Amino acid sequence: VVRLKSRSNTLKLLVIVVLIVLTCAYLLPIYVMITNSLKTLPEIQQRTYLAFPQQAQLKNYTDALFGSRDFLIPMAKPIVNSSIITGVVTLLACFFGGLGGYYLSRVKTTFTRVIFVLVGIALYLPYQAVIIPLTTITAKTGLINSHFGLILCYLIINMPLASVLMGTFFLSFPHELEESAEVDGASKIQIFFRIVVPVSLPAYASVAIIIFTQVWNEFFIALTLITPKTQTVQVAMAMTQGSTISPYNLQMAASLLTVGVPLLCFLFLGRYFIRGVLAGALKG
Amino acid sequence: VIGIKALRRQKTKRLRDSVLEFLVFTLPLVVFLVILYGTLAWNFYVSTANWVSTAPDYTFTGLKWYQYLFHQNRFWVDVQNNLKWLILGVLPTVVAAIFLAYLLELAPFPGIESYVRTLILYPVAMSFVVTGTIWSWLYQPEKGVFNTILASLGVQSPFTYTNDPATATYWLVLIFVWQYLGFAVIIIQSSFRTAELQEMVEAANVEGASKPRILFSVIIPNIRSGILVLVSLLLINSLKVFDIVWIVTRGGPGIATDVLATNMIVTAYDQRLASAGAAIGVIIFLIAFILVIPYTIYALRRWFD
Repeated sequence: VVRLKSRSNTLKLLVIVVLIVLTCAYLLPIYVMITNSLKTLPEIQQRTYLAFPQQAQLKNYTDALFGSRDFLIPMAKPIVNSSIITGVVTLLACFFGGLGGYYLSRVKTTFTRVIFVLVGIALYLPYQAVIIPLTTITAKTGLINSHFGLILCYLIINMPLASVLMGTFFLSFPHELEESAEVDGASKIQIFFRIVVPVSLPAYASVAIIIFTQVWNEFFIALTLITPKTQTVQVAMAMTQGSTISPYNLQMAASLLTVGVPLLCFLFLGRYFIRGVLAGALKG
Repeated sequence: VIGIKALRRQKTKRLRDSVLEFLVFTLPLVVFLVILYGTLAWNFYVSTANWVSTAPDYTFTGLKWYQYLFHQNRFWVDVQNNLKWLILGVLPTVVAAIFLAYLLELAPFPGIESYVRTLILYPVAMSFVVTGTIWSWLYQPEKGVFNTILASLGVQSPFTYTNDPATATYWLVLIFVWQYLGFAVIIIQSSFRTAELQEMVEAANVEGASKPRILFSVIIPNIRSGILVLVSLLLINSLKVFDIVWIVTRGGPGIATDVLATNMIVTAYDQRLASAGAAIGVIIFLIAFILVIPYTIYALRRWFD
């Protein structure tokens, strides 16, 4: 990195102003969310939103999880539903995406170019353009009544992303090892599973985190496809929103439960997270 | 003769191997792609049919539902709002990201970079449903956090945020910019850090070029591909915007913040006009398709060269 660092005073002032603005803008929402999720209802009604809670009300979280008189949409079941759906989609998308991405990164024929273009367009396909057929398919096949309906839809939609992300990582993976194995007579499939996969586990971790976050946070398809049995966490969260429906302290507790897993992933696996985001931007 | 036979056998074996390889590696991807493009074609077909109740009706009606949309006032409100999203969701984010990324390169404080990164990147992990929930509380005119803080400072707040039809969309876009800024900064930062660019910056620095000059005449012209990627991603995401609008305003007040994606859901699922909803889907897809063309060409070159 170039020594561009500057010691001029105007720059220092500018940096400090920007830092203060950013800190306020980005800490305020999460601070308000966490502190108010621990307050009692009378405290919320006093509207001292920036104050600390007098006593941390962990009961708010059990209320949000299992429901109470003030909070009619228990989040526990949706969290389980989302975990199942997201877990299965992440595993399958990474596995199949790894296979597809590897082929696209190693074999350069007209055919793979065509697939690549199709994948590239599918990557940013607006869900609105496929939602009516997807609802019809899942309803006709009865998949809508189980987790498989959403699992299928999310797989269809996330396969292109998983393939491109994995492929981006494989592109930057040195070919020499594979070439020498090929000379020894190993097939591409053997090479992939014995040589490439074991050293690509960090790449798989990055892609898994991205797909996981994407699917866990998805709202549009979950909202249109939903049946009460397989309601996801985002849809349940959306139903609690609005001051007329539930008090802010419980809304914030439910919010924290909803973002908990991806946020912890980000905080503890930030490195993989950032690498995944960059791979998604084709930066590798 | 034996030699030729052996050679032929070897050839067929190699062919069989490469077909097998092809199937193992790409079959799942190809199958899912076929389903995806199949549903896309199917949706187009629905948009030219006459599906107006819960039961599908595939009678061909041509462009009837597109005409229906074009005669709808709401459709044009949506188009205007989507345009606002495309411009205001992208331009300020990109400018702010370049400015911030450059400032981080210049800042003489140690540790500032990882602090800022964590600070502004965490919203990437959050869903728009949750962000929308928090921000609608921040924005709430009477009991909201912003106006309460302003009142405690003795300021009578003039803002009603998303309750004001004239400015509601801008307040929604602000949430989007807030959420994507960190993402934008790390993409710009990563395109700063190529060896060639670093050398050029070094040379300009030694020659005594001013800091703003280095930014505008050395860095920006040389990170065009990074900017292209970022602009494309932001354009697509602001075109697809649904969650923020749905959660915070439901398209209201009235239809002031309605966008194509929310109109699509209302038309297809509340009014049960599946064909008209499908037509909106096709329109959103066509806009998205045009927007990603430059990006796809860039990606194709980068991948295969």
